[in-house]
Amino acid sequence: MAKIFCVANQKGGVGKTTTTVNLAAGLAKIGQRVLMVDLDPQGNATMGSGVDKRKLELSVYDVLLESASVAEARVQSDKLIAGGCSYDVLGANRELAGAEVELVDVERRERRMKNALAEVDKDYDFVLIDCPPSLSMLTLNGLCSAHGVIVPMQCEYFALEGLTDLVNTIKQVHANLNHDLQIIGLLRVMFDPRITLQQQVSDQLKAHFGDKVFNTVIPRNVRLAEAPSYGLPGVVFDATSKGAQSYVSFAQEMVDRIKAM
Amino acid sequence: MNRSAKVLLLPGWHNSGPAHWQSCWERTHGYVRVQQHDWERPLRGDWLMQLEAAVLDAQQDEVILVAHSLGCIQLAAWAAHSRHTQGIKAALLVAPADVECDTLRVQLPSWSPIVRQALPFKSVLVASANDPLCAWAQSVALACDWGATLVDAGHIGHINTESDLGNWPQGHALLMGLQQSN
Repeated sequence: MAKIFCVANQKGGVGKTTTTVNLAAGLAKIGQRVLMVDLDPQGNATMGSGVDKRKLELSVYDVLLESASVAEARVQSDKLIAGGCSYDVLGANRELAGAEVELVDVERRERRMKNALAEVDKDYDFVLIDCPPSLSMLTLNGLCSAHGVIVPMQCEYFALEGLTDLVNTIKQVHANLNHDLQIIGLLRVMFDPRITLQQQVSDQLKAHFGDKVFNTVIPRNVRLAEAPSYGLPGVVFDATSKGAQSYVSFAQEMVDRIKAM
Repeated sequence: MNRSAKVLLLPGWHNSGPAHWQSCWERTHGYVRVQQHDWERPLRGDWLMQLEAAVLDAQQDEVILVAHSLGCIQLAAWAAHSRHTQGIKAALLVAPADVECDTLRVQLPSWSPIVRQALPFKSVLVASANDPLCAWAQSVALACDWGATLVDAGHIGHINTESDLGNWPQGHALLMGLQQSN
């Protein structure tokens, strides 16, 4: 049975997409079968997985509208296959924004993704969903589908404020729509230990959230930042970089944490 | 005194060129074209969201939608789902493209089947007897399903640039009729 995780944070620019594609590649590298679902109409996770969003025949939009199944709409990237870290991609482009309008009067619209993923449950060990930063119907679809949420966050002062909003959202979804939903863990990203404030916030996170903070820390790394412009996850773009190695370690930590759950 | 409704122009696939009557109306009357991110590859969801955004941008104004070709199909799909149709006074639908026909269904797969729900506002559908992109019988069926008054424009093709209509005063008279209607 596939374990389904949303990568979410209501604050923008915190490394959600970087985390989604690199965790997907990291999991694939250690032998896990992975589907990456892009629920953001910007389609950055799609492009960052080596799939051209402008050339998608079918996308997650068609799946949400029930005009295609996941099996029909998922694709693989030649670049990822060549890089030895291949995972399936259920891609997105601007068209996905229309789902907000088209599903507005549909009953149980927030469960469309959950129902669609149930049909491919046996094909994967992990399904990772990249959510948009806003709390939209698309984000709700992601949260209703998932067993848990991975929260990437930078160790900055205002990061904690965004976290409060996200925790409240997750509580509401847990209470009303998805009793399985829980925060799997907080992932410290773009971390620079030389900056005192980052170290302080990191310590605060540990103090407040304890075991919910992943042991792995993703360092600020230029190779991770460069990778999307080549249409690749950093794990594939430069496997020797510290950023890539950290994401592979994180993938292993995820596998171990799931086994222990 | 009644304020005129704001007119939004909805071009079809590939946009309306400078000699198209929609572009003439835009220049002459200051009507507003609903822009699309990609006119060559019309992503249905994206087009619907652009229309939704344009209607929301109109805010307090009453709106008349003037659609051509694929723009008519877009309008019908949007109207079936949007919660913001109450601000639409009327629609003028001109030469809807039959995206269910063999050729267009292959080229624009996400647009078929055509949404045939009755429009929740007054509408007029103008069709041409020799439209290469929509058989007359299909135009009649769409007008019936959408609850639109059908107007026969004669034999003027797809009612586009090739039809050489200039400002198309006959079409604009129909729009003025909708402006003055209650």
